[in-house]
Amino acid sequence: MATVTTPILEEYAGGTIARAQVGLWRDGFRRLRRNRLALAALIYLTVLVLVAIIAIFWTPYNPATILPNTLTFLGPSAGHPLGTDDLGRDLLSRMMQGAQISLIVGVGTSAIVLTVGVVVGLIAGYFRGWIDNVISVFINIFYGIPGILVAIILYLILGHGLGNIMIAISATAWMDMARLVRGQAFSIREREYIEAARASGARSGKILFGHILPNSLGPIIVQATFVIPIAILTEAFLSYLGLGIPSPLASWGSIASEGYAALPLEPYMMLWPAVALSLTLLAFNFLGDGLRDAFDPRQRR
Amino acid sequence: MTDPILEVRNLSTHFFTDDGEVKAVRGVSFSVAPGETLGIVGESGCGKSVTAMSVLGLVQRPGKVVSGEIMFRGHDLLKLTREELRNIRGRDIAMIFQDPLSSLNPVLRVGYQIDEAMYAHDKIASNAVERRGIDLLKQVRVSDAERRIKDFPHQFSGGMRQRAMIAMGLSNKPDLLIADEPTTALDVTVQAQILELLRDLNEQTGAAIILITHNLGVVAGLCKRVLVMYAGEIVEEGTVEQIFESPQHPYTWSLLRSVPRIDANRGHRLLSIEGLPPDLIDLPQGCKFNPRCPFRVERCFTESPPIEQVAPAQHAACWVTMERAYAEMGAGTITDTSPGAASGVHPAGRSLPPAEVPAAIAEPVSD
Amino acid sequence: MPTRGTLIYIAQRLLLIVFTLLAVSFLVFITVHSLPGSAFESERVHGKALQLVLHQYGLDRPILVQYWSFLTSAIQGNLGVSFQIRGLPITPLVMRELSVSAELGGTALLITIGIGTTFGVLAAMRQNTWVDYTLTSIAVVGYSVPSFVLAGLGELIFAYWLPTVTNGAIQYPANWTGTYGTLVELSLPAIILGFYTSGQVTRITRAAMLEVLQQDYIRTARAKGLKTRVVTVRHALRNALIPVISILGPLVISIITGSVIIENIFGIPGLGKEFVESILGADYNVTVAVFTVYALLIGIANLIVDLLYTVVDPRIRY
Ligand SMILES: Nc1ncnc2c1ncn2[C@@H]1O[C@H](COP(=O)(O)OP(=O)(O)OP(=O)(O)O)[C@@H](O)[C@H]1O
Ligand code: SF4
Ligand SMILES: [Mg+2]
Repeated sequence: MATVTTPILEEYAGGTIARAQVGLWRDGFRRLRRNRLALAALIYLTVLVLVAIIAIFWTPYNPATILPNTLTFLGPSAGHPLGTDDLGRDLLSRMMQGAQISLIVGVGTSAIVLTVGVVVGLIAGYFRGWIDNVISVFINIFYGIPGILVAIILYLILGHGLGNIMIAISATAWMDMARLVRGQAFSIREREYIEAARASGARSGKILFGHILPNSLGPIIVQATFVIPIAILTEAFLSYLGLGIPSPLASWGSIASEGYAALPLEPYMMLWPAVALSLTLLAFNFLGDGLRDAFDPRQRR
Repeated sequence: MTDPILEVRNLSTHFFTDDGEVKAVRGVSFSVAPGETLGIVGESGCGKSVTAMSVLGLVQRPGKVVSGEIMFRGHDLLKLTREELRNIRGRDIAMIFQDPLSSLNPVLRVGYQIDEAMYAHDKIASNAVERRGIDLLKQVRVSDAERRIKDFPHQFSGGMRQRAMIAMGLSNKPDLLIADEPTTALDVTVQAQILELLRDLNEQTGAAIILITHNLGVVAGLCKRVLVMYAGEIVEEGTVEQIFESPQHPYTWSLLRSVPRIDANRGHRLLSIEGLPPDLIDLPQGCKFNPRCPFRVERCFTESPPIEQVAPAQHAACWVTMERAYAEMGAGTITDTSPGAASGVHPAGRSLPPAEVPAAIAEPVSD
Repeated sequence: MPTRGTLIYIAQRLLLIVFTLLAVSFLVFITVHSLPGSAFESERVHGKALQLVLHQYGLDRPILVQYWSFLTSAIQGNLGVSFQIRGLPITPLVMRELSVSAELGGTALLITIGIGTTFGVLAAMRQNTWVDYTLTSIAVVGYSVPSFVLAGLGELIFAYWLPTVTNGAIQYPANWTGTYGTLVELSLPAIILGFYTSGQVTRITRAAMLEVLQQDYIRTARAKGLKTRVVTVRHALRNALIPVISILGPLVISIITGSVIIENIFGIPGLGKEFVESILGADYNVTVAVFTVYALLIGIANLIVDLLYTVVDPRIRY
């Protein structure tokens, strides 16, 4: 390299960041541990994940099978702890499968949003110029469009399936993430230590992933966490409308929809998915709040 | 001498933070006579503002006045109900603040904010309020007052905003005006105008003024008497001549030595002397100035010096005092003012020279 | 009396809205027309007859030509005709549904802002007390509990368990009488919809109040001897409203999203119900029309928000 290396400068910049980062994360975890709501949410979600994993291997009955010799709308009993549904299927098994689907959709969508949003946001925020202009104009135009409308249309075009539902929800959700990352990249790029890294001849890839990304990690994680409940809710609603997970797969949304139809007869059938969805969304939101308070310095007070 | 209108006795105000109890003001006592001009000086963070805010009961959580008496016209302000205290604020004791831009509400018109202070109390007849608002603005020499009174704060210049603040403070003809660094945010010429204004007002209305500042030049220009604060305590008190000509506390002495450097810098710089003030959560034993004091003796590390009379009307809290430092330690000729330099006292294991300020740690992402 | 700058700004914003509408309607048009099957194919129309019908509706032309003719007539206020109910003009249909949705959404918006700002202010004034914790928890519950859960619960209570209390006035799915629902019919869906979005307002109002209460001008106001109520309302809240206004745009989007859900649950004949039905029935002209109307609504809402800023914050001038 032609440039005179300035190891001290880089050392200084890198070292300072590293120290600040370690402190930031340590502080963050300390704050998170003190947040009882977030901890309770975490415990609940752990249990839920376990249930979903168990459901891969075992459910009390086949969730899709209409059981022979079983009554429909059977109230909770020893054989069927949550009762049976309008077709005589075991509700516990269906609820377990529903947990699986909700979590897959939530986490999967969040992963898509994370990948697309971060990459697009970094590109726009780091390279600026025409690339940024194109991306920004696009986002500004479509930013205001309710995601659910887009999801409905896209899902119909793509066809049924878990993967497609995630893509359909991600179609608008990535924009929030991209805006966030772009803003972060903008402000961090201005910072002195980037200049320091640049002066010592660091490549842009290293700057992007070595400096900008780690420094915006807090807000990005928070944002990604909040995508999960939105995705779960959207999936549940689509399934509720009959536009989501195809039958006989059980989604909390479709169980709720069937339960809703049976509401005057058997309120409990609506109860299970209602409670499960509410608790799960609540847990993700509390966790997101906790993470935000702990790791997002912009929001700290 | 007449009775003081304000007498603060043994005031202590602490902040109960997550990191510990910040003992921002400890055992402060002073008094203000009617019509008097009193200056309070000291480095940034020494508790000047907190003292002033405590007087008006404006200290907010996590802060709390933990002890003391604040006698105003024979009543202890700390014992008043919220409503009684509210009636004194802005009516009998007014306060103006350092940064006139952030201290004015950006979404309300200047005139409204002045008038509001009068409507809140019954001192000015309500039909006279608007007229008086304009008169006040004229009095503080805002030109075209009739029109400007309808402006919003952002339409005012820095100096005009501070004038508006002063007009607001004077609106109810208070007996005492507490001005917390009224000139710090302004440039030198405007500073001089504001000071002149305060001087005139003091002479015309007879209101007593407490002027808080870290600019000794400002004190010299306006005040008759001066309090010097260090780390939450009053370390010296005297007439302005005494403080400037024969300071007795080593801290005051150090402050005065640092003055020229400050004036060279448009008078804006904070007073600063070598080292840092102590951590108010974990205070040093003995005299709080001992980690920085060139004249410290062994006793300074174990016992806190009481504030005692050193000359008529002059008090200082120091075991040595400058008189002795001049006589015995050659204070008049020393060039090395590092801790313990003049007295040669460097106790092992205690009070290492103050560490250098650590390189600023990069604050992670903020917008 | 808007200044010249303001007028120029408004003109720019209107231009942006037009541009957005063009882009959105174009994309949606292309997308839905590429969906497999149309309203006609789903019926038993084959071969020549189908060709005829497609020709009649201009669906056999190239897609860009179709969009162009949609655009030109849309500019004149004609959004085309429905496929499903053959030949029914869409504009009056959508206008009627818009009025229903606006009634629902508008009521919900008022409820949201009312609950949200009140809760936010109270929580901030009592920061870190049980009042704060309770109100902020209610806010999180608000946007966590799915609206169809609340709807189910509400329906269960009011329509089935307490029909005497409501005197049988609520029947869901509502047989919406005429264009305007009765107050009672409107109230439950509007409250559920408003509650859902009020959480966002609570959170932002609380944060803004906490921020504002730290400001120097609040100290000044207290130093003047103003009453606590005056300091809170006149000095703090007015400033705290500025960030609250900034989320009004996203709030309108949330309400529209929520109304799509709520209308379908309660069977309220608004735009949201129409949207889902048109998609399911492959009635693409209607889909495009509803989508475009939504985009227009949001554009206008954002413009109004920007103008509101200038009312609340004198520092902002365009
Ligand atoms: N809200 C608070 N929480 C914790 N500590 C505080 C708070 N307000 C003030 N302090 C502490 O009280 C001390 C005194 O502050 P004060 O504002 O009175 O200083 P000052 O002498 O007015 O300084 P300056 O010249 O910078 O205005 C400071 O060291 C500060 O750390
Ligand atoms: S000489 Fe001792 S008592 Fe006096 S200021 Fe110095 S350290 Fe404090
Ligand atoms: Mg101060």
